[in-house]
Amino acid sequence: MNATVNLAKKSIGHLLPDRFRPVIDHESCKRCKRCVAECSFKAIDFIDDRVTSTGGCVACGRCAAFCPAGAIEIEVIQDQFPPHANFTERIRRGIMSQASTGGVLLSSCGTDVEHPVIFDELLLDAAQVTNPSIDPLREEIETITFLGRRSGKLTVSEKDSFAFVSEIGPVVAIDMPLMIGHISLGSVSYNAQKALFMAAKELNIIAGSGEGGLHPDFYVYADHINSEVASGRFGVTSDYLNKVATVEIKIGQGAKPGHGGHLPGEKVTDLISRTRMIPVGTDALSPYPHHDIYSIEDLQQLISVLKEATEYRVPIGVKIAATHNVAAVSSGIVRAGADFLTIDGFRGGTGSSPRIIRDHAGMPIEVAVAVVDKRLTEEELRNKVTLCAGGSIRSSADMIKCIALGADLVMVCTAALIAMGCHVCQQCHRGLCSWGIATQRPELTSRLDSDVAAARVTNLFSAWNEELKEVLGAMGIDSVESLVGNRDRLRYFGANPKVAEIMGVKHVGEGWG
Amino acid sequence: MSGLQGDPIFQSGMFRARSKRTIPQRPRSYLATRPPNLRYQMGGCGIAGLISINGDRISGEGITRMLTTMSERENGLGAGYACYGLFPDRRDEFCIQLLFDNEESKCLVEEFLKEHADVKKDERVFTKKVQSLAPPYPLVWRYFIKPADKREWRGNSNLSEEDYVVKLVMHINKNIDGAFCVSSGKDMAVFKGNGYSCEISEFYDIQRYSGQLWISHSRFPTNSPGWWGGAHPIGILDWAVCHNGEITSYGVNKKLVEMAGYDCTLLTDTEVIAYMWDLLVRKHELPIPAAAFAMAPWHHSDIARMDPESRLLANALRLTYKEAFLNGPFSIIVGRREPETTMIALADRKKLRPLIVGNSQDHKMVFSASEECAIRAIDTEAETWTPNAGSPMIAQVGKGVIRAGIEPPFLGVVR
Repeated sequence: MNATVNLAKKSIGHLLPDRFRPVIDHESCKRCKRCVAECSFKAIDFIDDRVTSTGGCVACGRCAAFCPAGAIEIEVIQDQFPPHANFTERIRRGIMSQASTGGVLLSSCGTDVEHPVIFDELLLDAAQVTNPSIDPLREEIETITFLGRRSGKLTVSEKDSFAFVSEIGPVVAIDMPLMIGHISLGSVSYNAQKALFMAAKELNIIAGSGEGGLHPDFYVYADHINSEVASGRFGVTSDYLNKVATVEIKIGQGAKPGHGGHLPGEKVTDLISRTRMIPVGTDALSPYPHHDIYSIEDLQQLISVLKEATEYRVPIGVKIAATHNVAAVSSGIVRAGADFLTIDGFRGGTGSSPRIIRDHAGMPIEVAVAVVDKRLTEEELRNKVTLCAGGSIRSSADMIKCIALGADLVMVCTAALIAMGCHVCQQCHRGLCSWGIATQRPELTSRLDSDVAAARVTNLFSAWNEELKEVLGAMGIDSVESLVGNRDRLRYFGANPKVAEIMGVKHVGEGWG
Repeated sequence: MSGLQGDPIFQSGMFRARSKRTIPQRPRSYLATRPPNLRYQMGGCGIAGLISINGDRISGEGITRMLTTMSERENGLGAGYACYGLFPDRRDEFCIQLLFDNEESKCLVEEFLKEHADVKKDERVFTKKVQSLAPPYPLVWRYFIKPADKREWRGNSNLSEEDYVVKLVMHINKNIDGAFCVSSGKDMAVFKGNGYSCEISEFYDIQRYSGQLWISHSRFPTNSPGWWGGAHPIGILDWAVCHNGEITSYGVNKKLVEMAGYDCTLLTDTEVIAYMWDLLVRKHELPIPAAAFAMAPWHHSDIARMDPESRLLANALRLTYKEAFLNGPFSIIVGRREPETTMIALADRKKLRPLIVGNSQDHKMVFSASEECAIRAIDTEAETWTPNAGSPMIAQVGKGVIRAGIEPPFLGVVR
């Protein structure tokens, strides 16, 4: 067995040339060996008094960032295969890997396939003459956002005084229309998750727990945690559910619709073993469906169970991957009693996913959120539920466009990780993250300072919120709720007007009259 | 008050000069039929309203004077008047007033109304040729109806009388070519068209009518091809809305009224505002100040400073009716007949468009307008004040000013 594996590994190395190479300027190199210590992928060594590239570089950028002499550049090695427009290098590399291993190819982060990005084909509106733009430096522009179910109708009477009897909530208010998505302890390190929770608390937003349960140390952040109930049910206890701000049932994830969570055994350390309640070193592969949800009425029961378990004090949400029938499924979920609904587009990130699913299943969030918003409006459900959308929200521009397409708020993960240091090298599943984020190795996790990482995430999203206010002001809107689903303020500037038609967005050049 | 024709401002040549239309006009004007390719109407406006507190009926001459005074606020592409307390003898019948392109569309509407309602009476609405207003003119007709006994609409049975009338109006405006219903309330009617406010007043001979409440509107559209049906006031049932502004949240607000079953056929934010009042006040039975708060809510930072009970109500309204929030600049004057004849004047929460209200010295008349000159044009002695941003002034026949627009949103909330 071992011999076969070794042979296979050897043959991969032989067949698959590296894609990246650290290039060392030996003139300026101080031979301090810092890069050797920093490289968790063992792609650099110190041989014969020289820093030498030994292969296996993933371009994580750690060595270059920490070289005191600035003597390292990461080179992208181009054109190692004879050109072929159909059998691209990417395709050939996949074939060769599988021929060597006979396995399902794993990958991480959101898909890197070059599908058109619809966000980049949308342009925003601004006020001119007939209405005034609003100056965010001098006027208040509101970005507060509510998560939870709404009744759609209040009962208020007025005789000598006002009286109202309607039940409101449960509702959670957050300071900007953004939540940090589900990044589990396990897929990322203790320090990384702590930083996310610290940032969420500082920003007064919520952050997802991921499906790994909640470490007791993090109970202090529970007011700002959106806890996930996934098919593995890791760490789901009433003790934990009763502490958090919101609870979300994870049916699917944009990066791997139809799959459950994947946590390679390499990352299941003693710490993870305790929060997930599984043995050290075992792969934690969550069931693909929830085995108590085989249909919509089963989901309704789980929603009810969670509402009972939390005594109706927290909003219960449902998260699904954006798949082709997303509008009808969403309508069913709202009817089943979900207080908020999260749609995750096919570009969403992951700590580990079969590449075939990540690159080929699902649909873009831009279209998904627009069709869900339209369907929920047609079925008179839209003003009952909070709609959250994620799946590669890369910037405040994406966030703003996503809201205008129909989301009440967006869910962001990868951008938060990049703020902490992630370079999107797509190796999370290997547990070797040199930045101390997607790893459980103590020598690597200690590289991430939670305080610094939290401050950087806080900076990032504070900046996004300021940019949101700038754009709202320019549009003459002084509260973000007036942008939700306001597709009139978007125009499509791309190659496929059919996409615009499906999203209900006019083409550039089409004015109001 | 002097007679309309004798008014010096009318004789001065100012309006005549304007009516000569020095700016190029579109080749044709549209009557009931919506102009092709029109997607949305926008622009600035002048608004004016007056209400008789003691119930005396006021002639249309006064409102004409108020509106035409604000000549800077119009460009000859639309004006209109709504009168309440117009048909005291037919107090319980819905008055469906329509614009027709031709006799053919009138026949279609008559056939439809006879099938779905009990038409008690119909009559031609008086109109006359106005020298400066180029034909074609629409045929204007009104029908007094009682809804059919069995109020069933496409499987939706036992609708309330009002909901049923809304369905009839929506059907006519959406499906009958060449016909447009301009008002559908009891004891009220809307008179509007494509022209300067003085021309429209003359066209309908507004001074021949008298009522307890008048609201009016003149337009300065930036994009309208000139459509009689698209002029203001815009009405549904007994609601009529005159609106100066541009709602930046139109797409959001439209979703809410569409979810509640209203068809937006006019492609203007004012239509959405009219449906919003009907939805919040008639269907959801919100008190007028609560509905106004939903449309022009306080900032959360201000709500945080409210007393706890008011804060609870304010938050509940903002949360539940967030799609009702009219963002962007507006000032509106709203008229209503049921249950009491009421005038509401409301500006957006940042007060980006002008609104002033006034009360006559003898407290028999209450005025509202875009500009003070409109009030001074008919009452030099009136006491005037400006309502706060987002705070409605409410005046009712028999009661006077019941809310000046300077009070906190909710006084004495209980739960």
